[in-house]
Amino acid sequence: MYFIKVALLASLLALVACDQIEDDLNPSSEDLRPDVVAGSDGTAVGQLALDFTLEDTLGNDLILSDEYPLNTATVLYFTMWCPVCDSHMSYMRQYMVAQYPDVEFLFIDYVTGTVSGSRQTQISNGYTDFTVLVDTTNAIQNIYNATMGTVVVIDSSGIITMNEDFKDAVKLSNVLSIM
Amino acid sequence: MQKNSVFINAAVLLVALFYSQTGFSASCCGGGSASSLLLPKAGQMMFDLSVDTEQYDGFWNSAGQHVSDPEGSDLSQLRINAGIGYRLSPNWQVSLVVPYVWNDNQYAGFETQTNGVGDSVASIWYEAFDVITCVYKVNSIADLKPSIYYGLSLTVPTGVSPYGDVANSFDITGRGFYRLDASLMMEKTVFPWNASLQLSHGVYVERPVNREYGNYVEPYDKNLGDRQLFTLSFGYTDQTEKLGTLTYTLAYADLSEKAGEIDGVIDPTGGLEKQSLSFTIAFSNFDKDKIYKLSYNKATDGKNFPATDVLTVGASYVFY
Repeated sequence: MYFIKVALLASLLALVACDQIEDDLNPSSEDLRPDVVAGSDGTAVGQLALDFTLEDTLGNDLILSDEYPLNTATVLYFTMWCPVCDSHMSYMRQYMVAQYPDVEFLFIDYVTGTVSGSRQTQISNGYTDFTVLVDTTNAIQNIYNATMGTVVVIDSSGIITMNEDFKDAVKLSNVLSIM
Repeated sequence: MQKNSVFINAAVLLVALFYSQTGFSASCCGGGSASSLLLPKAGQMMFDLSVDTEQYDGFWNSAGQHVSDPEGSDLSQLRINAGIGYRLSPNWQVSLVVPYVWNDNQYAGFETQTNGVGDSVASIWYEAFDVITCVYKVNSIADLKPSIYYGLSLTVPTGVSPYGDVANSFDITGRGFYRLDASLMMEKTVFPWNASLQLSHGVYVERPVNREYGNYVEPYDKNLGDRQLFTLSFGYTDQTEKLGTLTYTLAYADLSEKAGEIDGVIDPTGGLEKQSLSFTIAFSNFDKDKIYKLSYNKATDGKNFPATDVLTVGASYVFY
């Protein structure tokens, strides 16, 4: 019995000592988003999107700052071709592309590493009807603090209006519907 | 001698059954959960240590079609599960299982390795029988009475979830939610054959989220959908020369989780299904205090879930 008590106490102490676990054991609803200077260069909402050039899976270079003036909004979606990503991308195709014809949806593949490999994955996953950009060095993923399922929405003047997880698409729909 | 063999069989069967269960892993989606463990009827305490090696082989999309991983990728997870079970009274027992997870994800253009504690599971079980129900021969209706267990398990989010200070989805070792599972397990042995059925229903606890992968976001409330697990197993026990036993168990598991909710609205992209088959070989010595097991689990079908193979090696020590 003594051994069990010591083991349980040690386990609790180990867990409490870890800040990362505290985020989940006692989650917060406090809004801790940092303030940003509107229109400054960056990746947060309200900032001017950092520009980049990426090659798509057909070998064409795409410059972000050339794209967003052409559309009501430009949506960047970061994919690693996993089930979660697939459900998000499938939802966009099924419900959002037709609803927002003036919005450009761009998928960014940050795991495949090569244009040819990404093209092959795009085909095998069934998304040849979308433009897939290949982030071969993860540079854009790192700049935008992105990971699986991250959505970045940029308006026609280059201002970021959303940069967070896709979740249930409600936030994305709300953002696009007022643009 | 006969009673001793029956005790052994019950102990090995319980261990084999719990190694046959469907785990929930998938490092990209928040995995590393432990499963529960059960003490045999005569056991006072048990230590259990197991190692799971899980290899990914594509996934099933939301339409149930299998999709391959990108060429050149090699995705795997290694889990060490440390568990302890303790008997409180003749019919009540508790257990705690804590996993430690290593994620190893290699793509042609991306590579990451990480490790950390996974989500832990604390359980309490009530045994609705006073004596072991294993029999060698069915002589009456009463001999068909199964052993019935009622359990409550609390999954505690001790792993690293997407909602904390973690920048990459590959670094996740837990789902970030408390979950309470109610379970019913029935088991019957007519030596050397045995069968078991387990039903579980799990409910997650809604939580606030103000952070995603290290980035603070507009706060919202999130909950995952209810989770059901159905497991059916059949086994055969063989006695070894030194009166130890070898138990072979084949199990089918069906896991499903409904779509979750965000701010009270159902997430149309959520939910999952997974069906799997597993085969377990468990060995117990004559004194029935040492149990060794080897298990192979293969996901056979699913929706919105990775296709994986899991090889498990483990050992238990039971105090009587």
